[in-house]
Amino acid sequence: MAVRGIDEKEEKKSYGSVFLLGSGLLVVISLWAFWDDNITRRPWKAVQAAFYRLDYRKAREAYEAEDKKLKADPAYQELAKKLAEEQASLKKGASANKLKALKADEIEADIGFGNLDQKVKFIKSELEEAWYEYDHAAQQGRDIKPYEEHIRGLDRQKAKLDPELDAARAKRDQIRDEIKKIHAGVKELETQLAKLAADRDKWIRVIDNVTVKLGPLSFYKIPNIRQLTLPEFDRNRFDEPMARVDRCQTCHLAINRPGFENEPEPFRTHPRREVLLADSAHPPEKIGCTTCHEGQGPAVNSREQAHGEVHYWEFPLRRKTQAQSSCVSCHFDAQRLQDAPLLAEGQRMFEQMGCTGCHLVKGYEDIPKVGPSLRRISAKVDPSWMVRWVENPHSFRPNTRMPNFDLKENDATSIAAFLWSVSKEEGDQWLQEHPAPAGLKEGDAALAAKGKALVESIGCKGCHGFADGEAATVLGKEKEIIPNLKNIAAKVGARWTYHWIKNPRDFSPATRMPSLRLTDPEALAIAAYLTTLGAKSEAIGGIEEKFQDAKNIKRGEGLVRKYGCFGCHDIAGMEKESRIGVELTTFGSKTLEDLFFGNRTEVGRNWDDWTYNKLKTPRIYATDRVEQVMPQFNLVDEDIKALRIVLAGFRERKTPPQYAADRGQRVTQVVEGRRLMHQYNCVGCHEIENRGGFIRKYYEQNPGLAPPILNGEGEKVQAHWLFGFLKEPIPIRPWLALRMPTFNFSDQEANALVAYFNGLSKVEVPYAYFDDRKVPKEHLDASRILFGKDYFNCLSCHQQGEKKPEGPSEGWAPDLNLARNRLSPAWIIKWLQDPQKVQPGTKMPSFFPGGPDNILGGKDERQIEALRDYIMSLGKGAAAPAGGRVASR
Amino acid sequence: MKTRNFGAFLLAAALVLPYSALAYDGAAVSDGGSISGVVKFVGAAPAAKKIDVNKDKEVCDKTAKSDASLIVSGGNLVNAVVSITDIKKGKKLEPIKVTLDQNGCEYKPHVAAFPAGSTVEILNPDGILHNVHSYSKVNTAFNVAQPKFKKSVTQKIDKPEIINIKCDVHGWMNAWLFVSETPYFSLTDNSGGFKLTDVPAGTYTVEVWHETLGKTSQKVTVKAKEEAKVAFEMGKK
Repeated sequence: MAVRGIDEKEEKKSYGSVFLLGSGLLVVISLWAFWDDNITRRPWKAVQAAFYRLDYRKAREAYEAEDKKLKADPAYQELAKKLAEEQASLKKGASANKLKALKADEIEADIGFGNLDQKVKFIKSELEEAWYEYDHAAQQGRDIKPYEEHIRGLDRQKAKLDPELDAARAKRDQIRDEIKKIHAGVKELETQLAKLAADRDKWIRVIDNVTVKLGPLSFYKIPNIRQLTLPEFDRNRFDEPMARVDRCQTCHLAINRPGFENEPEPFRTHPRREVLLADSAHPPEKIGCTTCHEGQGPAVNSREQAHGEVHYWEFPLRRKTQAQSSCVSCHFDAQRLQDAPLLAEGQRMFEQMGCTGCHLVKGYEDIPKVGPSLRRISAKVDPSWMVRWVENPHSFRPNTRMPNFDLKENDATSIAAFLWSVSKEEGDQWLQEHPAPAGLKEGDAALAAKGKALVESIGCKGCHGFADGEAATVLGKEKEIIPNLKNIAAKVGARWTYHWIKNPRDFSPATRMPSLRLTDPEALAIAAYLTTLGAKSEAIGGIEEKFQDAKNIKRGEGLVRKYGCFGCHDIAGMEKESRIGVELTTFGSKTLEDLFFGNRTEVGRNWDDWTYNKLKTPRIYATDRVEQVMPQFNLVDEDIKALRIVLAGFRERKTPPQYAADRGQRVTQVVEGRRLMHQYNCVGCHEIENRGGFIRKYYEQNPGLAPPILNGEGEKVQAHWLFGFLKEPIPIRPWLALRMPTFNFSDQEANALVAYFNGLSKVEVPYAYFDDRKVPKEHLDASRILFGKDYFNCLSCHQQGEKKPEGPSEGWAPDLNLARNRLSPAWIIKWLQDPQKVQPGTKMPSFFPGGPDNILGGKDERQIEALRDYIMSLGKGAAAPAGGRVASR
Repeated sequence: MKTRNFGAFLLAAALVLPYSALAYDGAAVSDGGSISGVVKFVGAAPAAKKIDVNKDKEVCDKTAKSDASLIVSGGNLVNAVVSITDIKKGKKLEPIKVTLDQNGCEYKPHVAAFPAGSTVEILNPDGILHNVHSYSKVNTAFNVAQPKFKKSVTQKIDKPEIINIKCDVHGWMNAWLFVSETPYFSLTDNSGGFKLTDVPAGTYTVEVWHETLGKTSQKVTVKAKEEAKVAFEMGKK
């Protein structure tokens, strides 16, 4: 019977299956959500769990190994046995009984002391109260007498109790001491055991670190994100500072822990951890990982995302050596860093290969043109040689820095014709003023032999090579910064060479070639020798006419402009031209969208591959419509990789100053001075910053005849002396055939070099005054004895003015008369204390410790000081040598 | 990954090998054999070259000196050191005290061979300044002055190495220290003979080192209580 308005059928319908389905779905979805949240989307949890297992296993193994070692150690066994005996004796026997009695006594004594103590405390409180009442009465003008009496009464009570309390305390303490004494044996043994077992027990701490204890159970810790923030490290798109978030150590858990060197990633220890991750360097718990390695710091969803190796993330991970590109973000002076050798090599190449001739990079604007000036080139080279050189420099000198522009012969002829025409006037004038030297005969073998001997002895080989593969200084793996002269006769003639080597700056004021102060006969001999190296160039037919052809010259000018020859060479009339290449200041931050791949499909679609191929084959991305003009440098792979690291460091993101390493004036001076030093190739002859001295390879048999090593020079010599010496070198080691060249440094350059050496040596005060009046006479007297034959016999090796040492000159040491103007007094002390420490391998032996007992009380420090004073006073009478000209005292 | 692991292995090996993997284990040897023989010089024996004493003549030129860098006696090589290079276990290595005398501006002996950990006492009875300069790379190099008043200087040498000792004051003074890792070394005597005793039975690489002629080696098998006879030949290359 149906009730109106009610659908009975509907009422009786069962929704059970729907609810079942619904709840089933809900359960499944909940489970899925849980799974997704904890496992699918948090892969780092599994990684961390795996690490905890690894860490636990390793710690356990280490613990057991140490435990085994320990238990086999007789010393440990004996101690353990003794301890067990001691512990047992405290449980049974006479000392156990005594201990028991003492403990009972202690309780009793403690109660006695406590009671007394409480009494005294109460009296003290009452006293406080009484004094208050007394003060109060006094202030209100009432009678204070009763209060006074009350206080006196309390004082008396306290005075009576005080000794009792002291006695009770003493008694209690004495009992405690006795108990302690009985326990002392065990305590002492326990400490000794713990000391022995320290190597084992430290592993317990490691185990405790990865586990949680719950009663008798022990679990691995629950994984959690390890996050680090660097406040204000980055800037957002509105140029507002924002924090850098770095979660790398969520997975890389052992990055700063020793013992994981051979584990698979991500659990491996960082290479050179002790140095690179040291607290004084880059502690990862403070500066994180992305500061050097980039990647996507906050991402933990997958390895690819965390490493930033996903589309649209602009800072992909920089692995291994690539991380060197980040050093420059914080270190202005990156060449000093011993763990970034590729970066240093790359920087040297970038500065000296001429990259900045075509490309502007902030911080590298002032690098002078790397090629020679062409203002008088017509007076210098053979015209046919010039055409061939322009066409392809590498066929004449495979390792030259000059790149190959891949020119057709007629293009090369046009360029040469243009360069010839703009240099003709100045060149001809120079030739007129510099006639062929008298006495130069073609094929004078005796003269050439003399020249060869000079070339081999005076230091030419510090820079130039004279045969195949003979080069002292190379840039990168094999580039010659300075020409190899093995076939120089094809390029230049004897007349030019003679005048050039006599005074290079007379021909080319901006040249880096120094003068070796050659006499006329010396220059003649060397010029004669150089004409024997290689054969004269074969003349190209009709070259005269081509060089005169105005159309050809005009065409050449166009090509010179197109290829930007003026980037590296000084060309008359093109002084104001600007760089033809793109600016590279932020090249390292270019994204794939910024890079033009042309039609190249075989080049990997990433910054690294693009850049590698660009440097390897500079015109690789040219297409039929897009021309590219960058020339071929013929770089080996290692050099390309070094350069790529430099380029990768040219970034848009700048590290804020609070994170950057020292950028003080001294660092700037070092960087600028080093650049100058490289331009003049000081490292060809001298070892500076533990690098260079390349000429030394010719002196392996007799290192005493090689140029001096200049590590620590800034600390060694006085600034004003060094300045004067750089301006006008004087022989310090007259026995050397090698000559320190005259570079004709400007004041600015010489100052920059002095600042460089001072900066390297961290010299705070470059000028030191030595006051003769303050030298005690006994110092001079003592030193005269020490100098003598019976003692240190200094003049056995050292020259002193006209007094020369006995024996062959290669065993001689510098003139001590020069010390006064030349050496820093503080350095002399350091040197005498331990010459080997200052200059490893020096012939100067250590006289200390072990000075004679009978002089200045046998005190080494006093003898050293006395010698310093004496040495500084030696040159006083002697005429100040040139080089000390700048500031005479 | 493979190559990286291998590289790491090599690095670890390079760091560890010289000190631990090759570490020598010494104990008493019973039933040991011996290796003996001579080092022959191939070629014409050079005439002794006189050294030109050009400094401190009153002291240094008292005795005539000749170049000791190659001494041949009866066709055999003097001052060569014969040693077993690949022995890990054998008789005890006992450091000794060696004396290097500079009397008359000449080192005596010219070549000294001794185990690592030994001390060298350098004497200066000349009464003039000498300096003792070790051109060593493995051990810390030293260069100590030895003025008249310092009659004796002592240096402990901890690590195996062949060290050139020179006096920079007197350019001709030259000596060699052969610091051995094992007790199996023998300096050839005045007739070029050598003997290595108490060698446990086995096959070893036996090497000769000479300051001018370099190194040469051969495999030698030693039987218990027997003497293995070996002849080496060295000449100018």
